[in-house]
Amino acid sequence: MSPELIIAIIVTVVGASTPILIAALGELVVERSGVLNLGVEGMMLVGAITAFVVVFLTGNHYLAILLAAAAGLGTSLIFGFLTLSLSANQTATGLALTIFGTGFSALAGQGYSARPVTLLGPLFPSELATHPIWRVLFGYSALVYFALIMVVAIWWFLKKTRAGLILRAVGENDLSAHSIGYSVIGVRYLAVMFGGAMAGIAGACFPLLLTPQWAERMTAGRGWIAVALVVFASWRPFRLLAGAYLFGLVMTMELYAKAGGGPLSVVPSELWAALPYLATVAVLVLISIRRDASTNAPACLGKPFLPSN
Amino acid sequence: MQFRLEKRREPSKVMVYATPVAAVVLTMVVGAIIFSLIGYDGVGAVREIFLTPLTNSFKWQDLGVKAAPLIIIGVGLSISYRANVWNIGAEGQYIIGGLAATWVALATHGMTGWWILPTMFVAGMLGGAAYASIPALLKTRLNVNEILTSLMLTYASVQLIYYLVRAPWKDPMGMGFPQTRIFSEAARLPTLIPGTIVHLGVPIAIVVALIAWFIMSRSVFGYRMRVVGAAPHAARYGGFSENKTIWLALLVSGGLAGMAGMLEVAGPFQRMVPGFPTNYGFTAIIVAFLGRLNPLGVIFAGIVMAITFVGGEVAQTTIGLSSSATGVFQAMMLFFLLAGDILIRYRIKRVVPAAEVRA
Repeated sequence: MSPELIIAIIVTVVGASTPILIAALGELVVERSGVLNLGVEGMMLVGAITAFVVVFLTGNHYLAILLAAAAGLGTSLIFGFLTLSLSANQTATGLALTIFGTGFSALAGQGYSARPVTLLGPLFPSELATHPIWRVLFGYSALVYFALIMVVAIWWFLKKTRAGLILRAVGENDLSAHSIGYSVIGVRYLAVMFGGAMAGIAGACFPLLLTPQWAERMTAGRGWIAVALVVFASWRPFRLLAGAYLFGLVMTMELYAKAGGGPLSVVPSELWAALPYLATVAVLVLISIRRDASTNAPACLGKPFLPSN
Repeated sequence: MQFRLEKRREPSKVMVYATPVAAVVLTMVVGAIIFSLIGYDGVGAVREIFLTPLTNSFKWQDLGVKAAPLIIIGVGLSISYRANVWNIGAEGQYIIGGLAATWVALATHGMTGWWILPTMFVAGMLGGAAYASIPALLKTRLNVNEILTSLMLTYASVQLIYYLVRAPWKDPMGMGFPQTRIFSEAARLPTLIPGTIVHLGVPIAIVVALIAWFIMSRSVFGYRMRVVGAAPHAARYGGFSENKTIWLALLVSGGLAGMAGMLEVAGPFQRMVPGFPTNYGFTAIIVAFLGRLNPLGVIFAGIVMAITFVGGEVAQTTIGLSSSATGVFQAMMLFFLLAGDILIRYRIKRVVPAAEVRA
């Protein structure tokens, strides 16, 4: 393999990983607060169609990202209201949110398919990225750097700040947090909204970063992979980064296999397409064999908070 | 005026049955308003989606054919969810069931005999159950979350269809289309009423639901599933093994999803095509909840869901509404249902502020 090809692969891997990483970071914060939102895929689709329509109408990529975040946040409020205010079943509500996001985005995107938009260009001026090596560092769009900054920011927030400590306390022992005087429901609302905004931005990555068009269900289960990655990373941001790039690598291999030629095309392209999902299962198995994965899970994950009982 | 939630002494029986009905009605009302607000013919959409399939007798056969797989899969899921086992990969088990039945149909191509359809039926159920046994094995042995594994396997199974119809199972006379050859007469489900599309799967769905209702309410198996789901600690004291329950829940729900897959491929499809996954497995999740995880309720919920599917197609042709609007209506129904669940455990009380009392 030539150095150019290796660099091209690295750049593709980083791009493919970014939406999964952003969505998974949001879900990590949500789960650390003790809430399991399985609606990531639906919120991503709402973000994706919002970003597409905005960039199609205005051509402004950053406005598109901002409004995609707002749309994701708005969608997450449905989940928040049902599960936090009405203490509905989180699993069922999350599934309903994904069904809703899939239907809503398809409805809103009617008539927008096969219309091209432009991708979000690199953040740094192209002079910085003339040499291939520099491309690996400076050749990406703002979304890629945003994802990396958020890894550090969320790690710092959870580990070093008082607010992060409160969030973890709410996820580990909601009754104690409540008796000290913290608003369990309030903290969880904020976490769910943050997760929604991140899922919206993750959805925006699809039309702005990967394929410059709208297609129904274009997130293709990546939201679910993000949920799985949070478990894989045992709720730690830096492990999430490693996991997301690993999955980006698997997905990039599919692209190269489909493009034909080379040793990858010996295997049917459908197997490559199925690989990220099979790899998720394999990874879940591996972490379970290595140690009890659930030991690091927030103790209150998925349980509704009912102080009056 | 302010309202407050007050806990009921015991769960309300009335609300258990009233909330699904209220959810459907609210979906129609709120749906009409929202769709009008965003620039569609809201009232027309609700009329076409919810009422036309009922008033137009030509659509009744479509209702039966669409409801059958939803009921069969929904019954399985309701049993599984009762036991707190979250199989959300029914779509994948439906696909593998359909593929297993296709394999039998292709292997017996050109043959005749009464035994072909029953063999396909068994193959479909075994295929679905086998696929569901992967999450069951991983859950019981390694405590791997069954939600994620069953769902990931669904995405993988879609690729398996694509591969099989593109290469080994491709119809040699199909002019390059990625699909299998059409099944022989002996491998196709007979239609029950001549001149309609109503096939054997429709009565089978009703029978499946009735048997499941009987088993769930009258047998030790049903008792086990309900107790493990509602009170896992008590179940452990009572000697019900949690692992055995997980296995049973996944095998039953997977087997029924596989049965639905067989009935679909041998009935409406009559061959395997890339478009075989039609989201019945996902919609059946809503059906199970709307039916209150009760097999008899699932019959009604399956029919309601079938109405929205058939109505969605009607609305597409009559008022040009995208078929994806159906998904929005279905999700809204589930939202309202989940929101209404709180009324089973709580009642709404009006709070009179102190100032108002004095005045």
